[in-house]
Amino acid sequence: MTRSTVALDDVTVNNLGTFKIINEVCLPTTYPDSWYENSVKLPSEVSQLAFYSELPVGAIQGKLINLSHKIPSFEVATSILMNTKLKIVHDALYIESLAVLPAYRGKGVGSKLLEWIIEQTKERFVHEIALHVHVDNKEAIEWYKKKGFQQQEEVVKDYYKQQELPNPDAYIFKMTV
Amino acid sequence: MVARKPIFAHKEDANAREALTLYEAKQYKKALKLVDQNLKKNLSHAESLALKGCCNYQLGHKSEAENYILRALKNGSTNYLVNHLAGIYYRNVENYPEAAIWYKAAVDNGSHNTPILRDLALLQLQTRDYKNLRECRQKYLESQPGFRANWTALAVSHHLNKDFDAAVSTLDKIEGIIKEHLQEQDMYEHSECVLYKISIIFETGNVARALEELEAKSDEIRDRLSFLEMKANFLLLLGKQKEASLIYRQLLQRNPDQASYYQSLEIALGTSNEAPEIRLKLYDKLSSFYPRADPPKILPLSFLPASHPEFKKRAADYVLTQLKRGVPAAFVNIKPFYNDHHKASVILSIVQEFFENEINNFPPPVFVWANYFLAQHYLYVNQLDKALCYIDTALEHTPTLVELYILKARIVKHSGDFIEASHIMQKGRSLDLQDRFINSKATKYLFRANKVEEAIDCVSLFTKNDDDAANGLGDLQVMQSNWTLVESAEGYSRLYYEQCALAKQEGIESEKSTETMDLAEIYLGLALKRFMSVLKVFQVYENDQFDYHSYCMRVGTTRDYIEMVKWEDKLHSTPIYVRAIRGFTKLLQEVRVELLNSETDETVSKEKKKRNVKKIKQINVKKKNEVMARVQPSPKDEDPLGQKALNEFREANKLLSQLESLVKQLSLEAANYLFTWDLAYDFYKHEKKYVLALQALRSWSKIVDPQNKKLRVVGNRVLDLQSAVEQDGSVNVAIAKVVQKGLESAFPELSEGQENLLSVYSH
Ligand SMILES: CC(C)(COP(=O)(O)OP(=O)(O)OC[C@H]1O[C@@H](n2cnc3c(N)ncnc32)[C@H](O)[C@@H]1OP(=O)(O)O)[C@@H](O)C(=O)NCCC(=O)NCCS
Repeated sequence: MTRSTVALDDVTVNNLGTFKIINEVCLPTTYPDSWYENSVKLPSEVSQLAFYSELPVGAIQGKLINLSHKIPSFEVATSILMNTKLKIVHDALYIESLAVLPAYRGKGVGSKLLEWIIEQTKERFVHEIALHVHVDNKEAIEWYKKKGFQQQEEVVKDYYKQQELPNPDAYIFKMTV
Repeated sequence: MVARKPIFAHKEDANAREALTLYEAKQYKKALKLVDQNLKKNLSHAESLALKGCCNYQLGHKSEAENYILRALKNGSTNYLVNHLAGIYYRNVENYPEAAIWYKAAVDNGSHNTPILRDLALLQLQTRDYKNLRECRQKYLESQPGFRANWTALAVSHHLNKDFDAAVSTLDKIEGIIKEHLQEQDMYEHSECVLYKISIIFETGNVARALEELEAKSDEIRDRLSFLEMKANFLLLLGKQKEASLIYRQLLQRNPDQASYYQSLEIALGTSNEAPEIRLKLYDKLSSFYPRADPPKILPLSFLPASHPEFKKRAADYVLTQLKRGVPAAFVNIKPFYNDHHKASVILSIVQEFFENEINNFPPPVFVWANYFLAQHYLYVNQLDKALCYIDTALEHTPTLVELYILKARIVKHSGDFIEASHIMQKGRSLDLQDRFINSKATKYLFRANKVEEAIDCVSLFTKNDDDAANGLGDLQVMQSNWTLVESAEGYSRLYYEQCALAKQEGIESEKSTETMDLAEIYLGLALKRFMSVLKVFQVYENDQFDYHSYCMRVGTTRDYIEMVKWEDKLHSTPIYVRAIRGFTKLLQEVRVELLNSETDETVSKEKKKRNVKKIKQINVKKKNEVMARVQPSPKDEDPLGQKALNEFREANKLLSQLESLVKQLSLEAANYLFTWDLAYDFYKHEKKYVLALQALRSWSKIVDPQNKKLRVVGNRVLDLQSAVEQDGSVNVAIAKVVQKGLESAFPELSEGQENLLSVYSH
């Protein structure tokens, strides 16, 4: 199938349930309900749904941060605290979630979502994209590398501890856009 | 309105005349002042009383209005002015039968006001008083012959009286008169009148004349579609097959998606009974003319037998194309052929083979839709485990597709788990809160799970809620959403029975059972109230036609008008209405049994009455507030829990008259329902009207069961009636004989013994 069968649309209060279910079935981590609510409330959040032949199959969410802000754990990354410090100067876009339903992977959906968020980043006059990946998530690690992300030296210890993942450490990936 | 004034002899009369003028100018307050002056001097001045009634109505003092009208009529029942005002009043309150009586009285008592005739005619139409209508239309036409609408209206009155010749000749006459004066803007009305006339001629059975007229007037007919359809049909009926086929081909060119044209074309070509191969050739040719049309592809599937190799080939073509394109309705489209189970298994094998051999060559959505199709198939053939298996596979594959949740909920509902079904539906709804369809489904499933208030909250997300309304109940009534009203009534009924059963378990006299019965009482009231709101909606449908009696004549849409009248005459056979009456009368019977029990047993009666008094008070404080908080009725509602209505039904007269009017209404309009005669039989038997009960049994076996299937339910009722009459000591001997004779002649098996009857009526 060609890429034209993939389309994007906004996340809204009405389709939050769809966003949620995509993350639930694709990701081992659990996002609190408040996180979903904020995704349509807070202006610092950028999120998007992807459709394949009109079926919702993928979603991405990111937010603007300052890179000096330490993110020691998944819970901090997804908490409100990260967003309320309005005075800080944003210098990066942090990807909080990216997921495509297994049956629809390898068909360009993830790439399209990534392209979209790169555009969003540039439009906000920010030129850095950052994210955490679980050290065991070989697939995603390979994928981000292929997409031009650089793996940082630093390993964040126990990043996924509260999420109860085995080997709870995370790598940091960055890309300049 | 009132035009010609009577002669006034007294001062009061002069005042009344002035008040009348003010009334007509809608100066109701001023008119009322004058009238009040009059009534101070002369308390029984009829015109003033009538005017006061009308003014009160217009000023919103509706509860006081009728009293004045009644007093006015008492003092001046032969005064045509009073008659007319009474007529106006009753028309305003939509009591059309009463309004018709007083308009008629105004005419009979010497009013020369011609508009009264027109208004009277509208009321006669509303009340279906066709006999008097004719005379009224005739008189009005004589006073106003310059309008075509009045001629048409007279013709309609003849037509409704089945006097076809008079109707046609009236229409002919005005056609002749108006011929030279027709202008461009008159041509639509003219065209409709001509088509109306032709349809009446057709109705007389004189098809040749109808065709002749149609062809002669071809140039004057604007509605070309009707022209062609009528012409083709007439030709076919007259045996002019060749000509008919040409017209059907013309019709197909206009609209190749109309399946009936293909079927008619086949009749004209005489291929309907030919071998499938021959018919296939025809459809293939038509399909090449109209490649985008559905009927030429799907109709062959109905005449090709399942064993024909072409059936499988074409069905596969049809189904798989849709699956590959991701058409959600693929199963629904092919379902019509499932009435032949051989075809159903061929269709299953098509999809299964595709699923096993080819599915991997297609993008992922095709896999989902194929699973979705198979789940629907197994639901249809009631293999729920398999259905569940396929739908779960689909859900695991694409858990974001709303349709899958709807289907899974349906499957689970069929397995009897209403609660789980409603959870699944709610989950599906959460994926897209803007989807009105799944919102309605989720609502329905909540009702089925007896979560009535939650259901109302759910559907209220899509209603227009007034500022002071906590939910959309009011809007649902205004929007005439019968299904939600019926579902909520049925939900409350189930809750009522649930509480009754619970109370029985708890033991009649226990403290706890009193509380349970309180709740039962509340649910009963609510259920009655919701059923009655459906009755109200249908009353609105009935009243709504009033405006069309004049409107359709004025704009010249006579054919549609006749269709509407026919539809209204069968209004109460609408399935949702019959369903509502079924639930409503079942509850009324409960109330009736309760009444009968308290009548027969004096001691219980007193005990019960005492309890009732206590009960109503208790409900007030505790349970009532609790339920009110959940139901959240509109603050304007005077009987929020239906308790008032329920207590009214506890008076036998009100209950019986309600039941009787429903029995009569359904017997007349919904004679094809088994339920109608079930209800009628029960009612008449209880009322000891045995001859009418016999009549109901006869209609049951004749109208509902014309194939003479000999239903057991009927057989049981026959014996029931026989023994009821035998055991009733008070029954008149002659009547008992009539019933026995009637039973034996309608059910001859009875004379050979009861067992014989039951062995025949065993289905
Ligand atoms: C990572 C993920 C979002 C990628 O989405 P996707 O829609 O499958 O990705 P795409 O189809 O757009 O991939 C496009 C490219 O990546 C390649 N690719 C796909 N899967 C890959 C993999 N596992 N490893 C390496 N490359 C891969 C494709 O071949 C394609 O290459 P091309 O552009 O050279 O043709 C998806 O696999 C996913 O949801 N994984 C699970 C959730 C997850 O781990 N998310 C990241 C958490 S931060």
